[in-house]
Amino acid sequence: MRRRRQQAGVGGAVLGRIDWMTFCLFLGLAVIGWMMIFSVSYEEYRQLGPSGFLSTSAGKQAIWLGICGGIFAFIMLFDHKFWQTFAYPVYAFSMLMLVLVLFLGTNIKGATSWFSFGGFSFQPSELAKFGTCLGVSAFLSAYSTDLRNARAQLTVLGLLLVPMLLILLQPDAGSALVFTSFLVVLFRQGLSSTYYIVGGLSIMLLILGLVFPPLPIMIALALLGTAVLAYQLPAQYKGYALGGVAVLGAGSYFLYGLDYGWHVLGALAVAFLVAAFAAYQNRNGRLAFLLAIFLLAGSGLAYAASYGFNQVLKPHQQDRINVWLQPEKCDERGSLYNLAQSKTAIGSGGLEGKGFLNGTMTKLNYVPEQSTDFIFCTIGEEQGFIGAMGIVVLFLLLMLRITVLAERQRSAFARNYAYCVAGIVFIHVFINIGMTMGLMPIIGIPLPLISKGGSSLLGFTLMIAVLLKMDKHRMRA
Amino acid sequence: MSDTNSQRQYTIRLVFIIGSVMLILRAMQLQVLDPTYSSSPDATAIDEQIVYPSRGIIYDRNGKLLVYNVPMYDLMATFNQLDPEMDTTAFCNLLGIDREYFEKTLNKNWRDPRFSKSVPFPFLTNLSAEQFAALEERLYQFPGFEARLRHARGYPHHNASHALGYIREVDQNDLKKYEGLYAPRDYIGKSGLELAYEPLLKGEKGVKLVLKDNLGREVGPYKNGGLDEPAISGQDLITTIDLELQQYGEALMQNKIGAIVAIEPASGEVLAMVSSPGYDPNLLAIGRGKGNAYGHLSIDPAQPLFNRALQGKYPPGSIFKTIVALVGMQTGELDPDRTIPCQGAYYFNGMRLTGCHGHPTCFDVETAIEHSCNAYFVTAFREIVDGPGTFRNPEKGLDVFNSYLDKFGLGKALGIDLPREAAGFYPTSKYYTDKFNAQQEGQRWNSIWIRSVGIGQGEIEMTNLQMANLAAIIANRGYYITPHLVKGFRSGSMALPDKYVVRNNVGIDSAHFEPIIEGMERVTVSGTARSAYIPGIPVCGKTGTAENNFGEDHSVFFAFAPKKNPKIAIVAYVENSGFGGTYAAPIASLMIEKYIRDSISTGRLWLEKRMLDADLMPKTEP
Repeated sequence: MRRRRQQAGVGGAVLGRIDWMTFCLFLGLAVIGWMMIFSVSYEEYRQLGPSGFLSTSAGKQAIWLGICGGIFAFIMLFDHKFWQTFAYPVYAFSMLMLVLVLFLGTNIKGATSWFSFGGFSFQPSELAKFGTCLGVSAFLSAYSTDLRNARAQLTVLGLLLVPMLLILLQPDAGSALVFTSFLVVLFRQGLSSTYYIVGGLSIMLLILGLVFPPLPIMIALALLGTAVLAYQLPAQYKGYALGGVAVLGAGSYFLYGLDYGWHVLGALAVAFLVAAFAAYQNRNGRLAFLLAIFLLAGSGLAYAASYGFNQVLKPHQQDRINVWLQPEKCDERGSLYNLAQSKTAIGSGGLEGKGFLNGTMTKLNYVPEQSTDFIFCTIGEEQGFIGAMGIVVLFLLLMLRITVLAERQRSAFARNYAYCVAGIVFIHVFINIGMTMGLMPIIGIPLPLISKGGSSLLGFTLMIAVLLKMDKHRMRA
Repeated sequence: MSDTNSQRQYTIRLVFIIGSVMLILRAMQLQVLDPTYSSSPDATAIDEQIVYPSRGIIYDRNGKLLVYNVPMYDLMATFNQLDPEMDTTAFCNLLGIDREYFEKTLNKNWRDPRFSKSVPFPFLTNLSAEQFAALEERLYQFPGFEARLRHARGYPHHNASHALGYIREVDQNDLKKYEGLYAPRDYIGKSGLELAYEPLLKGEKGVKLVLKDNLGREVGPYKNGGLDEPAISGQDLITTIDLELQQYGEALMQNKIGAIVAIEPASGEVLAMVSSPGYDPNLLAIGRGKGNAYGHLSIDPAQPLFNRALQGKYPPGSIFKTIVALVGMQTGELDPDRTIPCQGAYYFNGMRLTGCHGHPTCFDVETAIEHSCNAYFVTAFREIVDGPGTFRNPEKGLDVFNSYLDKFGLGKALGIDLPREAAGFYPTSKYYTDKFNAQQEGQRWNSIWIRSVGIGQGEIEMTNLQMANLAAIIANRGYYITPHLVKGFRSGSMALPDKYVVRNNVGIDSAHFEPIIEGMERVTVSGTARSAYIPGIPVCGKTGTAENNFGEDHSVFFAFAPKKNPKIAIVAYVENSGFGGTYAAPIASLMIEKYIRDSISTGRLWLEKRMLDADLMPKTEP
């Protein structure tokens, strides 16, 4: 036995009993990513020739791939218990880096997010994602932690807010937003669904508030609330009440069109109070009370969104939101230009794409950040719908596979850690790909393993390597 | 800790799946379902640029350059790439333009569909290579401006402008006429050989596909140029013109109005074609200010743009007598040994009708040609027209005579490879019937009335080319090859068209040419054109003096030499210079000597000087 293990050597020690599916997905995506970067920067390669390969974008990325391979191997050989034991110190170290970068970092494109040494630069926020995964997992897997009590909730919130605020100071809103992905692990760990429902509704109302003025939203909310109360009435009144609400709705629509909006809102408020009183009479007072709070909060949110959009945001920030929610209002050659070029590049790929190295729009700077944040455009243009769908499916398989790994862990720490990773991959993929197609607002975060950039590649390699290492030793935890 | 939330893993997976499906559906909408994105992008990234071919170059028969290409640059501007901060003052100084021009040219009416802010338009055209060199070094400082190379024409000499012609930018008519072949601002041959051989000279435009980035800057070739079509250069044209002879002819004709046409009889190749006054072809070359030059030339009363060698129609005068003699002998109406007495004029029924000059009696055709006797050829012409016993039916005789004129290439364009060749004119029997009927209904005409045709006067008109061709016919003893200016093409083995190779027989037995040729030789030895005599080169010629109602007579001389194996047939026509022997004959003989001997013998240098110095231009009242 011992002899045989020695014969297997380092390779066996690194890859033995690893989860092959995750590893293949991980490696496959990284290789595809490198090929896409090679395609985007093909013009550089053509000019510099094979001897200058290492100075091209693809050459630099190849060096990073090599470094990441080394780190992957190192983690596989490193003691798996280290990560749980030193979760908090690693978290603290990554936070320290976030503080240091604010003072020692290099300012690139208006954000102090980078440490630069030599030709390479490193983004500590990528390390912070990994550190926070460890920190949050350690906290959640502690026996004393119960997410039902407020103290635990506030502690987790604190663990997340520290990196988010530090990153916002850089400022890098996109990377800060990534930390909302920990809602996935918190959900799995039992955080009340109410938070998710209220949060989801709030986001919906905020978005509505960005698109519509507050008055019609308030009218709609009042109508909705009245209708819910009417629906709850006993059967003998229900029909009349619902009919009345329908008449109210039609009348409101008509009068709102005639510029009597505020009168309509007043009338509906009275109608809601009448309905609430009726509900109270029918022992449904609690529902009426909750609805009243929802209506007031919803109106407040819609009003706040509208006020914030019109009074607080600067025009270029308004443009960004309009590009996402109301592209038809935007100037095709102005604020919409980047997104329009991105969508055109993806759309031009058609079903089968133009073929490897044959994309024109993604090589000629038509698409912004074409090798980093908008790398998906190259996939869409050169590989077509089949390739684009393929990439999304590969990512989905990776995420689902991670949840499978998560569920088979015996240690809560490992399971929580896996869900942290799955959540981070998901939010990156969904926002990044969604943004290139206009589904999400333009938020500058990379596509995991695909986008050019060593820090991001290194961060995801760390996350997945540690996950695979813990999975490899799951039976001994 | 017990796991009470295990069911939530499915919710999480569902969220992942829903998110991914949303992305896939969105991609499907963009890539497969919505056609607006699939068509446009290549048009934005790939620019189709036209590569202009170089136009065929033109050489003389000895390989000397007549026309070459001159690089010319058009400065194009693309409005939306201009740098608003650019140093306008430096730019204007560099180009030698003023600020007003700059503003006016750049601020087009952008609502006009003909202009687009992203499409280059000509800002300043026809910059010479020198001007461009000064600009090129600094062009990078002015984004949005680019230079496009085109080929204009240059001429190393100042000669042969009428034969060579010129090129111009296409106009609306050209665009309509050659639909699709030309684009606005393309060059096209507008006259001369440039027009006649336009399809061969122009070559074929190529296409270069260039990738442009989002700012419209060129990045590189598309697919490494794999789909590019190279421009195909035009054919280089070798002409039959002998540049030295042409230059000499133009020098001899300076300050005179008229023309010279010289043909190699055996081949029909035009050796020289002079029309005087002419112009320097460089004046009409594409360049800044050519419009002015054209304007001045076109209003010049001496009509320098008019090609007198091809387009001028002149009465041939006495040289026509050779045709009368030849036809008379061929039809049998004129015995070559016939003696016709002359008493200083042609008399009919005692009436003196056509005057003649004093000369010895003509015993035969040979002496009649030598002395150019009017009475002799009026008689001969009348006998041809009247025929044996057909006095009452001159129409038939004239038709027979005219059928020979057709064969001599008269009354129609010969078909030289130059545009706008005039046809000349000879009167037909119908012409006379109509003419005399118009004077008096039912009036019948007879040969007496049309006798001046017999001596090359009256209605008959020939072009200089036809006269030179007549000399070639006599030199060849009975045939001609349609005169032409194309000798071949430098590249490829393109054959000449048949019509410039086949012999056109004029239907006269070669034996009948001998008395004519003998007579023509004696013209230069002892006859009316002794000034055309060249020691050592037997020149056969014939003078003509065409009466001109508006001033001095026109002087014409046609000849070929040497008598055996003739190398050159020539006509010289000098307007308002009086008797044919005074100017036309010496000029033609100097041309012959120049061509055959390459230089003028010392004994004739005085004659050359006199011809070069003579100024016969009409003196306009001050």
